[in-house]
Amino acid sequence: MRKLLDLTFRAAAVLCALLACLIFGWIVSAIVWRGFSVVNWRFLTEPMRLAGAEGGIFHNLIGTLILLSTALIVTTPLSVGTALVTAFYIQSERWRRLCLLCLYVLNGVPSLLFGLFGFIVFVSFFGWGKSWLTGGILLGFMILPTVSVALVERLRSLPPLRMEAAAGLGLSRSRIVWFVLLPQCLGGWVSGSFLGLARAAGETAPILFTATIFAGASIPSGIKENPVLTLPYHIFILAQDSFDQAIGGKVWGTALVLLMLAFCMSLVVLPVRLRIHEEADHV
Amino acid sequence: MTGIRALETESVQAQKLARRVSLTQWTSWVLCLIALTSLAALVLVLIHESWPVWRVAGIDYLAGKQWLSSRHLFGAAPMIYGTMAVAIIALGCAAPIGIGAAICTSELLPRRARLTVKILVELLAGVPSVVYGLLGVLVLRGWVYDLLEPLDPLSGDTLLTGGLLVGVMILPTILTLSDDALRGVPASLRAAARGLGLNARETICRVVLPQAIPGIIAAILLALGRALGEMIAVFLVVGRQDNQWPERLWSVTPLISPGQTLASKLGGSEIHIAHGDPLHWAAMVGLGLLLLGMAGGAAAAAFLLQQKQLRHAQAS
Amino acid sequence: MKRPTMSEITRAPAIEISGLRVYSPSRQILRDVCLAIPHGAVFALLGPSGAGKSTLLRCINRLIELSPGLRVQGDIRLMGRSIYAPGSDVDALRARVGILFQQPAVFPGSIKKNVLFGVRHLGKAPKRLWPEIAERALRDAALWVEVKDRMDDSALELSVGQRQRLCLARALAVEPEVLLLDEPTSALDPLSTEAIEESLRRLRGRRTLVMVTHDPRQARRLADRVACLQVRDGAGEIAESGSALSRID
Repeated sequence: MRKLLDLTFRAAAVLCALLACLIFGWIVSAIVWRGFSVVNWRFLTEPMRLAGAEGGIFHNLIGTLILLSTALIVTTPLSVGTALVTAFYIQSERWRRLCLLCLYVLNGVPSLLFGLFGFIVFVSFFGWGKSWLTGGILLGFMILPTVSVALVERLRSLPPLRMEAAAGLGLSRSRIVWFVLLPQCLGGWVSGSFLGLARAAGETAPILFTATIFAGASIPSGIKENPVLTLPYHIFILAQDSFDQAIGGKVWGTALVLLMLAFCMSLVVLPVRLRIHEEADHV
Repeated sequence: MTGIRALETESVQAQKLARRVSLTQWTSWVLCLIALTSLAALVLVLIHESWPVWRVAGIDYLAGKQWLSSRHLFGAAPMIYGTMAVAIIALGCAAPIGIGAAICTSELLPRRARLTVKILVELLAGVPSVVYGLLGVLVLRGWVYDLLEPLDPLSGDTLLTGGLLVGVMILPTILTLSDDALRGVPASLRAAARGLGLNARETICRVVLPQAIPGIIAAILLALGRALGEMIAVFLVVGRQDNQWPERLWSVTPLISPGQTLASKLGGSEIHIAHGDPLHWAAMVGLGLLLLGMAGGAAAAAFLLQQKQLRHAQAS
Repeated sequence: MKRPTMSEITRAPAIEISGLRVYSPSRQILRDVCLAIPHGAVFALLGPSGAGKSTLLRCINRLIELSPGLRVQGDIRLMGRSIYAPGSDVDALRARVGILFQQPAVFPGSIKKNVLFGVRHLGKAPKRLWPEIAERALRDAALWVEVKDRMDDSALELSVGQRQRLCLARALAVEPEVLLLDEPTSALDPLSTEAIEESLRRLRGRRTLVMVTHDPRQARRLADRVACLQVRDGAGEIAESGSALSRID
């Protein structure tokens, strides 16, 4: 009886894991199978024509990359500052935990609400209209907790001995920050940033009302009223009326490109993330 | 003479250093404050913009079952119901599978197989929500329609479809975080239980799971937060039918008919129409505030649980 | 359980290890270990750290299989029957061969829950006997007097020495035939060490005890028989074995 229960339990657990892997395999193969024939060099380098039925996704790709690089530029100083304060400058444990709590709640804010906030503040109040800069700023704030927490974890895991050694050499606190702490948390910055960007690349909700349109924009030339085309919004719109065969092919192709973009960024940081998770249990 | 000069330069240098300390520190503090006040700003803006509807409709805004913007009737209850229904269906699917798979990866699999599963799951977590939405529209919707065929449904766009889709989306969250929680349980406890002659199931159920349960609940709460706020994928498959308040709260029929969630309402074009009318606009933003309260609360609770377990682990 | 007679002790060993080899992916850990451990004896394994003493101990209840990547060859017989025979029940084996680790691993929960943990989940005894079992096990582990009035308190409030005795009681409560001890006192203060040694002395003859220790004096105080392991070419092997008094000097 005990043996039977044990066996059933283990079989059920393994089945669950298999199911998770199967779902993953099915998602990827479904996208690749349908989108593979569409994606080629011309699809990537030609602008869209006929409302997505013809041509490629050149400007969508460029638009997504513009948003991502803006987000990275916005989030880097903010997250480094936040991480330094949270991990290093704050002396009281209680305030440190409050800071972390804020970061976690910010991380839990649905991305749609960043869009709503951006619409109220940037689009209406500042009068920017739809602008790539709004989208970049919103995405930057959206991935801020991811990057900050990765940095904080990295900073907290540095041996205190190293800091004491540096202080013993007579280095001031700011020199310790610049020459000991920051070089050490480069890895945390890379892994946090790419993880966040992989998430941001596929986000549609924050940029829906604030930064992106379906057709009629190319490279932005200013800030106000300068929206961009993006990959996720392209899919979002086409998915709503995708019974046209020609569009059907194009939308799967776009999905494949977006999926690969996200996977590439996840893969860059995979070794770092797995090492963190694997190390965690050998403490 | 030179000695004093040297001393003086030294003290000037020290002062310069002290000033540079404060500059680095000062900049960090400012950047940190900008980052954290963004959260406060978000909350305040949403409260400010939605103020009229709270003043006019009051509690009826939460409890009202009718949303008719032309008659200035704003009741959010059907959307709260839809949001909860989607989230609960999603958790009902994802939690057992995710926890089961986490038990498998953390307790049963050898290292190499575990790494393979974890890599796949990390990648699965990176699949954009709009891609899920696309698969939902073009594949899952048809499946659900076929499944419900005997019940003669209107379409495959139902709360159930949305729930299933979100369930797949939050599966990696539950799996990864549960796996972390399980692996946080000291190996010595496992060895002690196995050394007493307990088998794998008994060790897991009696020793490992009770220890990891706060972490697992935190994982479920974080996943719940994501499920509540997911818009794009739900928007595409949920049907977006207003005023679907169920006659009986626990019946199944409303789950297999089209509905509306807080997020899908906010994602629609109504937000542009509403912008001209202060009360309508306030009602729309109020939905966002509700969503923020639910998702933010889940995230905060998850954080506090994780911290508690962390301190617990350090104590024992 | 019947107390073994003298002739049984000399004739059929409780544990018989023959040609045991253990490999990790990168190197050999144990080389050709052969040992016979008599019934009711206190058997001490001595040797430098890294000689594979703990590994050898964990082979006897097959706990070694829980550390991934290790390969075991050779045979171990418990009461004349091979524990590596196909179809043998590992969990039942571990219930017969208890183990006490260097660091006490108490489960979160009350003292009572800890002592009865194995009894409860193995379903070895009816519920009405539990208080009696708990008391006997705690008395055997020399902890009864200290905890009898607070059985429902959390076990995490105990000192390290008390925790180790609690773990000893927990292992004894399921009435194992053999008890494996992996440096049971090396993390403890002298007083707790004394208490544990005293209870081990009282168990002599009733249980077969196999103890890993790095302290020759402890081996001399407690053991009937001793085996010394040494490291040669990176792998541990038996250097010599025999009765305690002759070997340690």
